[in-house]
Amino acid sequence: MKMKKFINNPENLTMELLEGLTAANRDLVSLWPGRLVVNNKLAKARRVTIVTQGGAGHEPALSGFVGEGMVDVSVVGDIFAAPGPQSCMDAIKLADKGQGVLYVVLNHAGDMLTGNLTMKKVAQEGLHVIKVITQEDVANAPREQADDRRGLVGCIPVYKVAGAAAAEGKSLEEVAAIAQRFADNMATLAVAVRGATHPSTGSMLADLGENEMEIGMGQHGEGGGGRGPMKSADETAAIMVNALLKDLSIQNGEKIMLILNGTGATTLMELFIIYRACEKLLRDKNIEIVANYVGELLTVQEQAGFQMFMARMDDELLRLWNSPCNTPYFKR
Amino acid sequence: MLLDQPRLTSMLLDTSRLWLENAQVLSEIDSRFGDGDHGVTISKIARLIASSAESWKAESLKAFITDLGSAIMEIGGGSAGPLYGTMIGGLAEALTDEKEIDAPLLKKMLTASLAEMCSITKARVGDKTMMDALIPAVEAATAAGDEVELVLAAAASGAAGGAEVTRSQISRFGRARSYGEQTIGTQDAGALSTALFFQGLAGA
Repeated sequence: MKMKKFINNPENLTMELLEGLTAANRDLVSLWPGRLVVNNKLAKARRVTIVTQGGAGHEPALSGFVGEGMVDVSVVGDIFAAPGPQSCMDAIKLADKGQGVLYVVLNHAGDMLTGNLTMKKVAQEGLHVIKVITQEDVANAPREQADDRRGLVGCIPVYKVAGAAAAEGKSLEEVAAIAQRFADNMATLAVAVRGATHPSTGSMLADLGENEMEIGMGQHGEGGGGRGPMKSADETAAIMVNALLKDLSIQNGEKIMLILNGTGATTLMELFIIYRACEKLLRDKNIEIVANYVGELLTVQEQAGFQMFMARMDDELLRLWNSPCNTPYFKR
Repeated sequence: MLLDQPRLTSMLLDTSRLWLENAQVLSEIDSRFGDGDHGVTISKIARLIASSAESWKAESLKAFITDLGSAIMEIGGGSAGPLYGTMIGGLAEALTDEKEIDAPLLKKMLTASLAEMCSITKARVGDKTMMDALIPAVEAATAAGDEVELVLAAAASGAAGGAEVTRSQISRFGRARSYGEQTIGTQDAGALSTALFFQGLAGA
């Protein structure tokens, strides 16, 4: 089937979407050369700052979370492709206000390469930067092989808690330790029922049968999970909740964050039905959802499905999650 | 033969041409388990190499190769930019202010390039990536006789052999990794583009 998207020349996709995102949120963010989306209040910041990088095509992620209390500079690559290390280095230098920079990288091959190359440049120039990697996809590797786990929607709550810690005036080491503690206690599982098209090439990113679903789809339809016949909301919720609880070894009485992130073509109606099922399952196990989000944070074009994210919470992380922030797509 | 600026310029133009000629094949292979855009990215890199080579003026060998590597890293379009930028830029790590490259120096350059690559990726032989072409290329080149032509020919044949072997391997890196055993039977697009790179340099 021919791709039906409101686009112009595919080569200009990323620039045009960034121009639109920043124009629509002029009060909060600006577009800088090198495809950097920058927090308007960065110039006045006297604190640890936060830089992240990643491909476009996942809107509102990642640049929709640039602003006060989350990300200071987002470095944008092409569609689903990492930016280059010099752009990241430029972003880090722009962001560094003398207190150091937290550099958040999602675990995908291209992003990791750029992250490593950027950290080489950082070392050569003697900058104060700590890199935190988000790698929480439970589908493609066991917890012991975290290096193989993909980074999914978990980067966004990481930005939130790290951004809040930075806003409180904590040192770079403290901010990084908090981000890492949160990241070490989070897990995501993705389910897809219909693939997306790559907006530049028009090619299908995953090919699922008429009555098929795949749990563990990853972020770009990479696959690697289990395919099976389509299940009901309650059945799907139970499979996913149990997988995440098991991965995180969450016990009765613990407190968690639960995020249901729609990947583009699954309705809020469906997400609410799933959320309701999750809450009931967790209540029965005496596990309390103390923080949540239901909606679209990180999408995969028109992929139908969602990512279920769970994290073990403590009082400090909860306070940081609930503290004020003002970004185009996340406000508190 | 010694490699000086005019000779290197012509080698880079040959490589660029070979990459452009094979862009469609690379994209087609990549579309099976990847984004299907490897040929597009390789074309961008090829055009950048050609335009840099054509406008190369007074820069030293080291400065030219280093700058070319940095520019390739920023080309966008996925991992190929940072990888080829590192591989090509890494060649300059063995240079100081030489105006010509002889066989022993060329071997050192290839060794330096491989060391840079090993420092940014954990992929090694058997993982079905461009490293499956690069590692045998550098091994063959360093074992070759002390003539530039022999070193280049050995690198080209080592890379081609390594790229061919990827056909029987299972992808362990990048997007294709998730497809596991399904990747058996398809050559790795990155290994093939690396083989073409060395083939272009060798003029084979």
